[in-house]
Amino acid sequence: MPEPVSFEGSPVDVREDIVAAHSLFWRRLAQAGTWWSGAQRVAIAAEVRAARACRLCGERKAALSPHAVSGEHDCSEEGRAALPDVAIDAVHRVTTDASRLGKTWLEKTLAGGISDAQYIELVDVVVAVTSIDFVCRGLGAALHPLPEPVPGEPSRVRPASARMEEAWLPMIPSGGARGSEADLWRGRTGNVIRAMSLVPEAVRDLKSLSAAHYLAVEQVTDPGVGRTLTRPQIELLAARVASLNQCFY
Amino acid sequence: MLLRVSSEMQGEEADLSAIIDSAAAQKSGVAHGASLIAFADAVVDGDDESLERARAALLAAVGPEALVDAAGVVGNFQRMVRIADSTGIPLDGPVNLFTADLREDLALNAFGSAENTPQPSAPLRALARCLAPLAGYAFRIVGRLYRG
Repeated sequence: MPEPVSFEGSPVDVREDIVAAHSLFWRRLAQAGTWWSGAQRVAIAAEVRAARACRLCGERKAALSPHAVSGEHDCSEEGRAALPDVAIDAVHRVTTDASRLGKTWLEKTLAGGISDAQYIELVDVVVAVTSIDFVCRGLGAALHPLPEPVPGEPSRVRPASARMEEAWLPMIPSGGARGSEADLWRGRTGNVIRAMSLVPEAVRDLKSLSAAHYLAVEQVTDPGVGRTLTRPQIELLAARVASLNQCFY
Repeated sequence: MLLRVSSEMQGEEADLSAIIDSAAAQKSGVAHGASLIAFADAVVDGDDESLERARAALLAAVGPEALVDAAGVVGNFQRMVRIADSTGIPLDGPVNLFTADLREDLALNAFGSAENTPQPSAPLRALARCLAPLAGYAFRIVGRLYRG
């Protein structure tokens, strides 16, 4: 089967594991997920790209408070056809102004008609597409064309062990990845791995893409592990990107 | 924290101000740090022309395989920051403790998402300062517990 992605335009050859991880996610993107259909997942991806050129998002980003500016988002056709307004707004805000999101905003979003698990799957698609698109941009390659949605029903799997702890949404406890979630992590793990565990497939996406783009989760806590870039070079890039995004984490 | 610990393991000392101040990139203490930071800045916020220049400079400095690594890392952290900020997770306890002074020095507590992490108490921060020379070892021990 041909890979659904290419890196046309890149001046350098791209590692096979990156091609494989992008291809795997792109195939999964087209299919029904845990709470959204394939058409809705592809629509979320289309909205991620629309958000980068959205006038309202630009005005909000420039405003002292994101709550001071109202209006309508510049949407994709796919988004307008397949997503509720509250989901479109969430996609745009996570894409363009995530550092100023807050718990009160999230509570209003959930009250607006999407569930906590739908929100997590939406975040999973937003962050995966963001990550993949920025790798392409960094390499000077064209963005991968969005896939055609595949018909199918969401699995609607919610882990029984997920519970409210320190984050805004339920997570699987650090030592609690068992049963059908036993592959998510062994023993204990950090909050950033658990953050999307209300939708276990989102953690699987995170692990797959992180292993190709950065390091396998198991390698992260060994500061001696690097790639062609040394580990200090990798961490300098990571910290700079976090700072540019005004991310405390 | 990983930048500091991994630099120390290589016998280097990273100037962490380069993280928040691109003017300090030249003295980051990390090999090709200025080219790496210019590339990250251009990918995240730059126009196509500045990105083309930064990409070509980094390619000349580190070669094609490392350029691919760099693009991967930038893409990866464009994701990780959004996961943290959109779910409200706090820093994990040991990281919160051992990086409290560093976050203050770099003014990272001014970022909105800092509200999601409670600041460690003064006695705990004092203890963390005493244990700072052991941070690298502690990180690896915690890493064995947190196996991902």
